[in-house]
Amino acid sequence: MISGSARTTLMRTASICGLLLLTLVVVIVIAAVIGSQRLPFGSSLCALSGKSNCGLSSEEHAILFDLRLPRILLAGAVGVCLATAGAGYQALLRNPLAEPYLLGVSNGAAVGTMIALVFFGAAEWSRPVMAFAGALIASFIVYQLARGRAGATPERLILAGVIVTTFLSSAIVFITTLMDATRIRSFTFWLLGDLSGTTTSLLTITFIAVLIGVIVLAANARSLNLMMLGERDAFDLGVEVSRVRVIVFIAASLLVGASVASSGSVGYVGLVVPHLVRLSFGSDNRLVIVASALGGAVFVIFADTIARTIIAPRELPVGAITALIGAPLFIYLLRRG
Amino acid sequence: MGAGERLVGDTTYCDYPEAAKSVAKVGDTMHPSVERIIALKPQIVLVSTASQLEAFTKQLDEQHIAVYVTNPRNLDEVFRSIETLGDLFGSHDRAASLVADLRRRAAAVAAATKPTPPVRIFYQVSDSPLYTIGREAYLTDLIRRAGGVSVTADVPGAFPRFSDEAALASNPDAIILPTGGSMGNANSTVAPAFKGSPAVLNNRIYKINEDHLQRPGPRLVDGLEEMARALHPEAFK
Repeated sequence: MISGSARTTLMRTASICGLLLLTLVVVIVIAAVIGSQRLPFGSSLCALSGKSNCGLSSEEHAILFDLRLPRILLAGAVGVCLATAGAGYQALLRNPLAEPYLLGVSNGAAVGTMIALVFFGAAEWSRPVMAFAGALIASFIVYQLARGRAGATPERLILAGVIVTTFLSSAIVFITTLMDATRIRSFTFWLLGDLSGTTTSLLTITFIAVLIGVIVLAANARSLNLMMLGERDAFDLGVEVSRVRVIVFIAASLLVGASVASSGSVGYVGLVVPHLVRLSFGSDNRLVIVASALGGAVFVIFADTIARTIIAPRELPVGAITALIGAPLFIYLLRRG
Repeated sequence: MGAGERLVGDTTYCDYPEAAKSVAKVGDTMHPSVERIIALKPQIVLVSTASQLEAFTKQLDEQHIAVYVTNPRNLDEVFRSIETLGDLFGSHDRAASLVADLRRRAAAVAAATKPTPPVRIFYQVSDSPLYTIGREAYLTDLIRRAGGVSVTADVPGAFPRFSDEAALASNPDAIILPTGGSMGNANSTVAPAFKGSPAVLNNRIYKINEDHLQRPGPRLVDGLEEMARALHPEAFK
């Protein structure tokens, strides 16, 4: 009986995730063939499928493989990071509004990245490390602030998140004011989420963080399901609540840190994607976490394709597009729900 | 123009001529302190480009302090703003002779570079994120006068954020890096998108003192000459 329902869950998860994976591949291909420079459609598809001699000039080849694909991969990784972290926070904190940006975790990672840039500017590895530390510290502070005698109520949590977010925003303004003018320009862009300027090492670090973060969160999905009933009930059912809480916080901070270090603060992904997933497929975290990962990748790649093409050859920061799509979508979801 | 001793305050970026450094500072160009400006009791405040400064100029208006904004789109407008300042300071003749000299030097550059075909140039304002100059930038005009043509001359805006792949496809023959000077060594490498461009392959990357190019004053003609010499060394033998 139990094995039967587990099998049904597995089948359902597999088929939904398969469908999302297929969507992701289609979106990647579409994103790869459109951009500010027009590339020959057939030849691009041919080159993307791994064949050589597709008739692309060396310049077109460089645009497709050195600039566009790495950026698409980074967009996908950032989407996975933010949506999975959002799903994790929402399950752990039993709060539908818990999201990296609203909780102040993104800003914590942003401050960490800025400190890394100011003090260890040359060392690229320092950015994700400091972003991770910043995200972890911010989420810890928010959690401590929100925890009253009666536990962390949704209202207290959001309030604590807003306080930490605005405090850290002021810290960011303070740091940018102290920096020289040439750096301010790159920061104002980066703060809104910027996916250009991908380097192989940043991409590698982000992918490693994605793998670790998603696997750890997915492995704790069953415990998170039980914790959604209430932490005391989960404890009675054998879940090591405090251990799971620490693990989820660390994994989510790792994801947020990696995404902020490589692309700044891309808002709304962690909010909109898990909500859409739960509305469509229910709130079993074993499915929600993996489906959010895939959906997040689709969402950010889609948004970045708009950001880099809509006013070509100029560009918009991707965070402006995710917010423009995310905010109205979220209002719609709220009203419908 | 001989009005230097009448300058009561400037910004932390103002470092030319040398005497400008020892004047009271009112903050940087992005965050000037209106209180300090008012405390210095100036008769007029000179502002370059009006962007973001609407509230600021309104406050000065209320204190009956005149504001003169320059936002030059080409070299002629830079010259005209120097002449206007000469009129404001009552030193019309000195400004006129300064501008006449600058015009003569600019004309000499134009004459020297005229016989050579223009070089296709990418002007890199910053490498990461990639910023360049667009059709509203006076630098687009300056490049034309130096015997070049900006590959981004038709892009809307003055200093647009530019797409990496459009940069790659622009295939410039030369890249100009405004760097050094008060910028230190920022912007001293070309963006990775230019890896395979003729500019990089033929090593036609020219670093030009940022202070001479991105501060639209009399030194702009120095920048023009430096740029023309870099692009067309044969024309200045």
